[in-house]
This record gives sequence, C-alpha cells and structure tokens, in this order.
Amino acid sequence: MADLRRYFDEIELGEEYESPGRTVTEADIVMFAGLSGDYNVLHTDAEFMKQTIFGERIAHGLLCLAIQSGLFTRATAPYATLGFGGLRWKFKAPVKIGDTIRLRAKVVDKKDLDKPDRGQITLDRTILNQRDEVVQQGQTDLVVQKRP
Amino acid sequence: MTAATYFEDVVVDKVQLTPAITVTAAHVEMYEGLTREMGSGGIPDVLPLCMAIGLGWRVKAPPMAVQAFVGLDWKIMKELRVGDTMHTRSRIVSKRPLRDGGLVVDERTILDQHGEVVQQGKFTFLVAKRQKEASA
Repeated sequence: MADLRRYFDEIELGEEYESPGRTVTEADIVMFAGLSGDYNVLHTDAEFMKQTIFGERIAHGLLCLAIQSGLFTRATAPYATLGFGGLRWKFKAPVKIGDTIRLRAKVVDKKDLDKPDRGQITLDRTILNQRDEVVQQGQTDLVVQKRP
Repeated sequence: MTAATYFEDVVVDKVQLTPAITVTAAHVEMYEGLTREMGSGGIPDVLPLCMAIGLGWRVKAPPMAVQAFVGLDWKIMKELRVGDTMHTRSRIVSKRPLRDGGLVVDERTILDQHGEVVQQGKFTFLVAKRQKEASA
C-alpha cells in the first residue's frame, strides 16, 4: 500500500490548511461528559446555565480541542506523526450547541530533535465558528518522523 | 446552591490527588468515534488530558466554582498504553483577583501506575468569587 503520509522533510514552513466545518451537537457534549467524566454544570445543567452569562450549556473546551485534532486529519494529508510534544492554548469564546466550528492551521516552526529520525513541527491553530469568530487559538508541537 | 470552593477560598500551593482510572480500549474507541481522529493503534495524546479534567472533579474537597477554562500550557512526556492506570496530582500555583472572579493557575500532573509522569502542564481557570450575603 502506498505511504501517503507526509514526513518531516516534506512539510514546509508557511503551509496553511483549512478544515471542513463540524457542527457541535448536544450528543457530542453528552458523550464527551461520559468519556471524560467532566459533568460540570457548564456542560450538563441547562436550567442552571439559563441564569449565567452564557444563557445555555456550552461545549467543554477540551471537546473542541479534541474535535480540532480530528479536523486537522481532514484538512491535509496525514503527517507521519509519532506523537504530540506539547501545546499552548487559549479558550477565547464559548461554543454552544449547534455552532459549527472549523480549523485553520499554519506551519510556523520546524526543528530537529535529539533523535536523528524525527523532528518537531509547530503549528499555529485557530478554531473559528460560523460567524468567523475565534473561539480557541494556540500552538501545538508535533513530533514527526523523517523519511526513512 | 451546592458547596463550591470560591476564589477567596483557593489556597496557593495546596496539593490534591485524584482517584485513578484505567484507560481502556473502549475509551479509545469512544474518543476516536467522537473526534473522528484516525487511529494510530495507541492512545491519542489528548485523551488522557480529557480524562484528567474529569478526575479533577472526583476529589473529596468541594469543586472550584469554575466559570470558564481560560488556557492551557501542556507537555506530553510519555506514551500511555491501553490497560495503564492513570491518576492526577494538582497543585495551585497562583491566584490573581479580577473585578469579577479571579484567575487560578492549577498545575496538573498525570501519573501512571508506576508513579511516572505521563503528561504535565498548567490550567488557567476563571473562578467565581463568593456571592455577597443578600442584605435584608
């Protein structure tokens, strides 16, 4: 089978991607509460949330972070990723049930690592909603294999 | 109103340990179904982070009155495998009052069953201040 993954050497600084959109549903939030164990009122108590500035339940910040990780794999051919190194992330605005989010990403740094078979790719990532408002933004460091 | 730890009651340097949870293939499948992230065979690195947040609510102390998750600075040190059992340690690093509520920086460490650090970083939360007593 052809190896369609992109290796460290082939990924260039300045590359930009935009993902398809994805509508965040009530089911997504309920499933994520079950998976993570995060049943905080922000995400699960509709009546309590009516009295807050949000007016309704909001998606978990980490749910949207996880969704964008999936959207990234639909935005570009897969990287030969060995793992995540780290991330620096800001949650800027709430995502509500029915909002549609998409990811915009750009390669901003490439560097070698101690092990010669891999390098680190840093991406700027922005999650936008259907009104083009920035809901989350940050940088992720990916450890990517070099072409063998 | 349920008991909560408000901004005024947050103690800097306080350390809390959570219960542990075994990460199973079912967690990985649910995560991949939810995110549509393509499977690599192992545990996606963001999954333990998501589960760490849930464990944080299971400590005995009243939960922080979190109004919003503001930011995250996170490092992945070690790969977790299906069948590993993780728990977390939390330490309040700093607190800074704002007009409404205040910012609390909480250092979280995910450890495996051998006590080795798997992931670590800092969460910044916006935490509510105690409601003023209603005047009669």
